[in-house]
Amino acid sequence: MLWIALHCPALSLDWVERRFPAALIPAMAVTVRKGNQVYIQQANQPAQRYGVMAHQPLAGALALFPDLVVIEHDPNEEMKVLQEAAHAALRFTPNIVMQRGGGLIAEVSASLRLFGGLKKLCQLLNRAVAAQGLQLCTGIAPTARGAWLLALSAPPRTVINGAGVKFRSLLDSLPVGLLESAQPHLEVIRGIGCKTLADLRQLPRSGIARRFGPNLPAELDRAYGDSPDPQKWLEIPEYFQQAMKLMAQVESVESLLVPVQRMIEQMCGWLASRHTAVLAFSFVLHHEYSLRQPHKSTPINIRLSEQSGDPRHLMILLRERLERTKIAAPVCELELVADEITAGADANLELFPTAQSEATSLNRFIEKLTFRLGPRAISGLTVVPDHRPERSQRFEPLGMKGISSFSYRETHRETIPAELARPAWLVETPLELKLQRRQPVYGSPLKLIAGPERIEAGWWDDAPIARDYFIAENALGQLLWIYHEHNPAEKDKKGKTAKSWYLQGLFG
Amino acid sequence: MSIPASSPLAAPSLLQIEAQFKSRIWRGDAFGSSPDEVVSSGFDKLDKALPGGGWPTRSLTELLLPAEGLGEIRLLSESLRQIIRRGGNILLVSPPYIPYMHAWENLYMDSRRILIAGVYKPAERLWVLEQGIKSAAFGAVVGWLPEVSQQTTRRLQIIARAAAGLIFLFRPVSAQFEPSAAPLRILLGSARRHVLSVRILKRRGTPVASPIHISLPWTGRFSNSVASLSASDQSNAVDRSSLSSVVT
Repeated sequence: MLWIALHCPALSLDWVERRFPAALIPAMAVTVRKGNQVYIQQANQPAQRYGVMAHQPLAGALALFPDLVVIEHDPNEEMKVLQEAAHAALRFTPNIVMQRGGGLIAEVSASLRLFGGLKKLCQLLNRAVAAQGLQLCTGIAPTARGAWLLALSAPPRTVINGAGVKFRSLLDSLPVGLLESAQPHLEVIRGIGCKTLADLRQLPRSGIARRFGPNLPAELDRAYGDSPDPQKWLEIPEYFQQAMKLMAQVESVESLLVPVQRMIEQMCGWLASRHTAVLAFSFVLHHEYSLRQPHKSTPINIRLSEQSGDPRHLMILLRERLERTKIAAPVCELELVADEITAGADANLELFPTAQSEATSLNRFIEKLTFRLGPRAISGLTVVPDHRPERSQRFEPLGMKGISSFSYRETHRETIPAELARPAWLVETPLELKLQRRQPVYGSPLKLIAGPERIEAGWWDDAPIARDYFIAENALGQLLWIYHEHNPAEKDKKGKTAKSWYLQGLFG
Repeated sequence: MSIPASSPLAAPSLLQIEAQFKSRIWRGDAFGSSPDEVVSSGFDKLDKALPGGGWPTRSLTELLLPAEGLGEIRLLSESLRQIIRRGGNILLVSPPYIPYMHAWENLYMDSRRILIAGVYKPAERLWVLEQGIKSAAFGAVVGWLPEVSQQTTRRLQIIARAAAGLIFLFRPVSAQFEPSAAPLRILLGSARRHVLSVRILKRRGTPVASPIHISLPWTGRFSNSVASLSASDQSNAVDRSSLSSVVT
C-alpha cells in the first residue's frame, strides 16, 4: 500500500477565499470561540499585512483594522470543500479517505503505472487538488496514518516522501504534538522528556497505555504499520450536482471561469471514478432575486455529440457558450449538474492515431465549431439522385448530430454518370448573364465549347425545369456551365428574340 | 605549401562537410528535398518540380488563383482522392461557391468525407482554419483567404508544422507581391484551353523560371462539338478536339 496524504493547513480560510474572484479577495480572518472570548484562528495575507495574526483576540484585531471581514469557523463548509476537492482527486484513485483535521488521504499503489510513477502522480494529484483553491502539504508513506503525520509536519507547499527505507526514521523524528490521541496529555508527555515519536516508543508500552489511555500506543502502531488500519472510504454519490455560492456579485464571464473550471474538474473526477462519461450537462447561473430584478437564473444546457469525460474538452465547450451568454444580472451562485451519463469508453493510449481517435477528434472539431459559430457553420453535402442541379444535393448541418450520422450514411450513392460533365462549383442562384450582340458575357464574351445538354426534369413536383446546358469559356480561361431556358411555346410567340443565359456553375 | 589530405588538421573539404551534414544542409542552387511526407499531386510534371516529389504535408501551400473555374479543384483532386482513400477527411473553409458533389464524386472524391465550413467573416475564417489545421481529423484543409496579412500566414505556417495533413490556401493573384510565410507558392493560370499553367513562385531550392503546363482530367469531355452554333464557333470546337488528343 502506498498513501499520499494532503493536508490543508489553511482550510478554514481557503473555503472562503475560493468563492471570491481572485482580484476581489478582502482582508479576512477566521475566528474561533474559546470560552467567552473570540480569537482569530487564521488570517489571510492581506489581513496579515495590517498586523492581524492568529491567536489575537477579535477585539484586538478589529482595533488594528476595522474593515476586517470576520468569518466564523465553520467545520461543515470545510468538509464540503474537502469533499469537492476529493471529487477532483477521484480521477487518480478511487480510494480516498476524508481526514478529520482538514485533509485527504489517497491510496495510490494501483495508480502508479497509469500516471507514470509516484513522482508524477504525486505532482498531478497535488496540482488537481491545489487547483480547487486549497493550499497543501503533502506526505507520502506506506501507511495512511504515517502519511498523514508526515503531511502535518510538512511546511506549506512541500512534499515529504517517506516511501521506502527512510520511512521509520522519518516518523521517529516527528514531534509528539502531531499525534491526535496525545493532544490531551501533551504537557505531561513533554514534561517527562518525550519530544519525538522515537522518545515515546522507547517508553514501556503498558505504562503508556495505563497513563495516557490505550489509544496512544494504538495510534503509534497504526502509524508505523504494526497493526492494521481499516479506513472509511469516501462514498461516491449516485448523481452529480454541485452548487457553489459566490461571495461577490459577479458580472463578467472572465471572473467566473476559475470556479467553472473547478466544478468541471470535480465532475470529471466523479465521472472517472464511476467509469462513465457525460452526454449532456447543464450549468446554471443563479442571480440574486429581488422585485426589481425578477431574473432568477440563466441555464446553459450543453449536449455533446459524443460522450466525454475530458475536462479540457468540456471546459472549451462551456467556455464558448458562456462567452456568448449575456449575463442579465449579477451572478451569486453557480450550479453544475450532470444530466445524462453513459458508460464511458476510456480512450486507449494509442501509439498511432486510429480511425477511432480520428472520428473522436472530428466530432470534437465539429462541436467546437458549432458551439462558437452556430449549428449551421459546418455541414456536409449529401448527394441526391436528381438531375436538377438545385435539387441534386442537400446541405446537412452537422451541428449536434455529429459526424456519426454523416459519415456512415447510406453507402450507396447514385451520382450523375461521369460521362456528363458537371462543374465542381455551383452558383447559389443562377446568375443572369449580360448579353453583347446576343452573346453572353461573363468577364468577357463567352465562347461555347460543348453542348447542348438538355436537362428536363421535375414535372412530377412543383419545380420543373427545361434547360439547355452549354460549357463556355471566357478570355481568362474560366470554364463555365451556362444554360438557357428551353421553352418551345414561348419561342413560337416571340419569334427570334434574344434568349437569356444563366450561369449555373464553374468547372473548378 | 601543401597539407596532406590525411592530416587531422586539414580543413574538411566542402564535400566532406556536405556528406557529414547531409540532412541539415541544402544548397541554394540545388533542388530542395522535403524532410516531410509528401502526397503526389497526380501529375508527373508537377511532382518533378515540387521539392520531395509532391504536395508537402506539415506546411502551407499557397495557390494564387486569378479566378475560380480554371481547374483548381481538378488540380487538387488526385491528391485529395489519395487522402480520402487513406481514410482522411477534407475540410473546405469558406469555399467561394457551393461544391457540386456529383462532380466531386466523379473525380473519385467521396462526398461523405468532405466537410464544408461556411464562415465568411475574416476572423472566424482564420479561427476555423487554425482549428482545422490543428485537429487530427483532417487529412487536408483547403481554405479560401481573400485578404490576409503576413503575420497571419506565419502563424498558420507555425501551426501547420505540427499538423499532419495537406494545407492549401487559395489566395487572389494580387497576393503574389506580398511576402508570405508559406514555403510553397504557386501561381495558377490558364495557358491554353483546359491546360492549367502552374508557375512555382517559391519553393525550397532553385527557383523555377518557366511555368509548367498541366493537362487536367476531363479535358476530353469539353471537346464535344457544339451543335447548332455559328460557323466561327464550330471552328473553335474542332480546334479543341484535336487538342484533347494531344494533352491526354
